[in-house]
Amino acid sequence: MPDLAQRLNNVQVSPSAAMTAKAREMRARGINVISLANGEPDFASPPHAIEAAYQAALKGDTKYPPQGGTPALKAAIARKFKRDNNLDYGPDEIIVGNGGKQVIFNGFMATIDPGDEVVIPSPFWVSYADMAKVAGGVPVTVSCPQNNGFKPRPEDIDAAITPRTKWVMLNFPGNPTGAVPSRTELAAIGEVLLRHPHVWILSDDMYEHLLYDGHKFSTIAEVTPGLKDRTLTVNGCSKTYAMTGWRIGFGGAPARLIKGMFNMQGQATAGVSSIGQAAAAAALDGPQELVEERRAIYEQRRDMVVEMLNAAPGVTCHKPEGAFYVFPNLAGCLGKTSKGGRTIESDTDFVAALLEEKHVACVQGAAYGLSPHMRVSYATDTASITEACGRIQEFCRELR
Amino acid sequence: MKLIADRLDRISPSLTIAMTTKARALKAAGRDIIGLASGEPDFDTPRNVKDAAIAAIERGETKYTDVAGTPALRQAVCSRLKADHGIEFKPEEILIATGGKQVIFDALLATINPGDECIIPAPCWVSYPDIVELAEGKPVIVACDQNSGFKLRPEQLEAAITPKTKWFLLNNPCNPTGAAYNAAELKALTDVLMRHPDVWIFTDDIYGKLAYDGFRPATILEVEPRLRDRTVTMNGVSKAYAMTGWRIGYAAAPVALIKQMDKLQSQSTSNTSSVSQAAAVEALTGPQEFIGVMGEAYKRRRDMVVEMLNAAPGLHCLKPEGAFYVFPSMTGCIGKTTAGGVKITDDETFCTALLEETGVACVHGAAFMYPGHFRISYATSDANLKEACTRIQKFCASMH
Repeated sequence: MPDLAQRLNNVQVSPSAAMTAKAREMRARGINVISLANGEPDFASPPHAIEAAYQAALKGDTKYPPQGGTPALKAAIARKFKRDNNLDYGPDEIIVGNGGKQVIFNGFMATIDPGDEVVIPSPFWVSYADMAKVAGGVPVTVSCPQNNGFKPRPEDIDAAITPRTKWVMLNFPGNPTGAVPSRTELAAIGEVLLRHPHVWILSDDMYEHLLYDGHKFSTIAEVTPGLKDRTLTVNGCSKTYAMTGWRIGFGGAPARLIKGMFNMQGQATAGVSSIGQAAAAAALDGPQELVEERRAIYEQRRDMVVEMLNAAPGVTCHKPEGAFYVFPNLAGCLGKTSKGGRTIESDTDFVAALLEEKHVACVQGAAYGLSPHMRVSYATDTASITEACGRIQEFCRELR
Repeated sequence: MKLIADRLDRISPSLTIAMTTKARALKAAGRDIIGLASGEPDFDTPRNVKDAAIAAIERGETKYTDVAGTPALRQAVCSRLKADHGIEFKPEEILIATGGKQVIFDALLATINPGDECIIPAPCWVSYPDIVELAEGKPVIVACDQNSGFKLRPEQLEAAITPKTKWFLLNNPCNPTGAAYNAAELKALTDVLMRHPDVWIFTDDIYGKLAYDGFRPATILEVEPRLRDRTVTMNGVSKAYAMTGWRIGYAAAPVALIKQMDKLQSQSTSNTSSVSQAAAVEALTGPQEFIGVMGEAYKRRRDMVVEMLNAAPGLHCLKPEGAFYVFPSMTGCIGKTTAGGVKITDDETFCTALLEETGVACVHGAAFMYPGHFRISYATSDANLKEACTRIQKFCASMH
């Protein structure tokens, strides 16, 4: 076989996708696997979004969509940014991608030259680092201590910025920790970023509507308006509206960046499914009650998961402010042996043994830059979560 | 510090966009414009396919799928390739992407190292050289004579291959010429490729179902199975099933390459729309009569267009084997002046004057790396085509 490109040598397959695929494969073999690996709501897409997709298909809305998004969806996105974030973006400041992932990928590919640095608060969604690498960039992680609620400290971000820094990533509520800074804490980060005018800022707001205990959402371009002309604000329909399969993400940014991202997308995939775009416009503009109903359900699940995990010997679980993940610490389980005879020396060993012996799929903290932890998604039905947490407790109790 | 990456500077500005933008502006100003510039079927997606999409939504198939596609769709692709070409593939040799374009993007970015050469017969779809450039490769454009039916001759291929050659990219049938290779013609090319074991082969068969007068386009692997470990066979549902807006393309390739493409895709977009994937399963495995009905219409239109264009002074139009394009030469018009007083110096001035004076929108040959010609898409109604060709005839006849 002729050889392959070096560009992908240090890039890994998305670990949550790999774990989900493994769980799916075990399930196909008839094994009763409960997957807490995926960041995917278990709810159905909103009925009005489904109806809009149906109508779009019937009326022949099946042609090449405009590369950067349909005018109708871009208008709905502009209204969303205004309504939820008090941000004004015009049609040439908005792009629609195949999921938030492509919006970030486009942003990186449009801006990163070889050796440019991307500052990523850690633990972090691992795709940030891999996407930076595909673009030839260098990920620079900033550790966010658990005793600061996994939130980045402004002085740590300041210290990580160099003349080669191209991007600073912000993701609140965060994947995998669910951490959310207060508006004041975010403003302090904004103050630091104002002092570094050569840096782009990416705010990944995908979990915006999943906030608990009365926490309020804010995003950097709104909190520190002086940063808006170099901020890419990323959001999408996947998490808020349970529309992961439809693959609709979007970004708001200055027109010159959007133009570069548009050109990039033109070479990678062109437009996004016309049917999906019609559904997304309906989701954004339609009734929003489902969002609050589901948020309340997630909050109950979070409380239950945190309580059940803290009851598992060797596991300690911080209670996060948002998203649908918890990121428990497994330090108390290391050095032990599972009932099936597997030695647990790392979080990777832990999740592998848990999957093999108890058929519960989680993702090791190492995949997010912090060990020994694991990411547990509670975006699945309450009964399955209860069962899975029970199995985790049993797994931990049986460790010797 | 500059904010946009060098890689975007390597992508040529889209030559088609300027023409399309002008056509749109004239239309908005109330002019009677006939668009022959579009690269998509004018037919709507078949009803059984739409119904399958709607049924999938109702079953809740609105979640993430495996990055490389659903098992059902990967299996459906295997069945289709077996039925159409007698080639056996396993599902793990298949990757589903957001349009054929993403297949090209994934394959080239997964393999090209800086400076690698990619041989592209011209006229060609300009995305090939653009994606090669984006991947830091070097496009090697080989011009195919109109006298050879716009087909690459084996000696041309042999002469273009160097130790730096990474890819040979073939589009069969071809956009923009409609030229297609039968098994014997392809065999002559594969004999050359057999002598160069370090070259990857990409065959873009997206127009494979669209050929007329009993002509059957072959694909590389049916004429030379020994190239299997270095060939990517690309196809999709956009053209054959009038599904451009759904964004589904696929690759069949060696597992080692599919894995790399899967990895890249997992970090750029993840899976393509779950709803569109369900629709594509029905397209590939359901009733195929639609293609014949559509093909009848295309054949009738092609015959009319070729005849009418050849009656226009200064034009010469081959009758191509497939796709839904013709690519007439306009060199007989160079040096003349239009009724509107425009001097025709090249294919671009021809197409611009044609649009402004008659309202017929085509794409000039330079946009396909082949000046002196223009592309007409006959994927529009017979009445539109007849009117447009009449206007072209008058436009040419009135030149002096």
